[in-house]
Amino acid sequence: MQREIKHTFYFNQTPQQVWDYLTKPELMEQWLMPSDFKPEVGHHFRFTNPNNTFVVCEVLEVKPFTNLSYVWKNDWAVTKTPYTSNVSWTLTPVEHGTELLLVHSGFELFKNLTDHNNGWMFLCNKLGELLKAANK
Amino acid sequence: MSTQTLDVFQVIADPSRRQMMQLLSKESMTINALAENFDMSRPAVSKHIKIMHNAGFISIKTIGRERYCTLKQDGFNELQQFINYFDKFWQSKLKKLQMILDNKSKLN
Repeated sequence: MQREIKHTFYFNQTPQQVWDYLTKPELMEQWLMPSDFKPEVGHHFRFTNPNNTFVVCEVLEVKPFTNLSYVWKNDWAVTKTPYTSNVSWTLTPVEHGTELLLVHSGFELFKNLTDHNNGWMFLCNKLGELLKAANK
Repeated sequence: MSTQTLDVFQVIADPSRRQMMQLLSKESMTINALAENFDMSRPAVSKHIKIMHNAGFISIKTIGRERYCTLKQDGFNELQQFINYFDKFWQSKLKKLQMILDNKSKLN
């Protein structure tokens, strides 16, 4: 079972151009969601979901044009699936553009499972067996 | 004692239930055999089992006088769907970002 989300995207633009879209609220809103983001470590901010609920965030790391990460969480007040997680962006200059790596990880509810002797691994293996058996 | 109905996230939030799932990931077990691993009353173990059963994490089969618990896929599928949701969410957002940047480059 998958426990983190990874996407690598290539852009024809420079890291500086891509960075602006990751860090300027008026540009972030065009492709992601409205927010009161500021590129300052420790800054608390919120993304507004289309249904007017919030993703509650805190900036963890800012290395201009290279690294950006923040806490991304929902709580019981908003959803029946509360979780804490991390969103991290890594920009790497490549020929003719930028490689952007997104890692959305550290989902607390999965971490809890792995804390106990890698219990999640057992469960995933077991699940794999069940799926195989079901397909026979 | 009424049986609580909890969603999958509430079900796995409890350490005892996670431990029970771990034990069941190795083999099917009777409720009595499971209970031996825990420092809690047999009714308390039964309650946890009911909760996991209601949320689709285990199935219970009665063989003779014993009730056997086996892990079941449904509960885990729901957890996987949660991750899949974000996977698709980011993929579509990043595609949108690509389009916005490319359109802007063309205009300049």
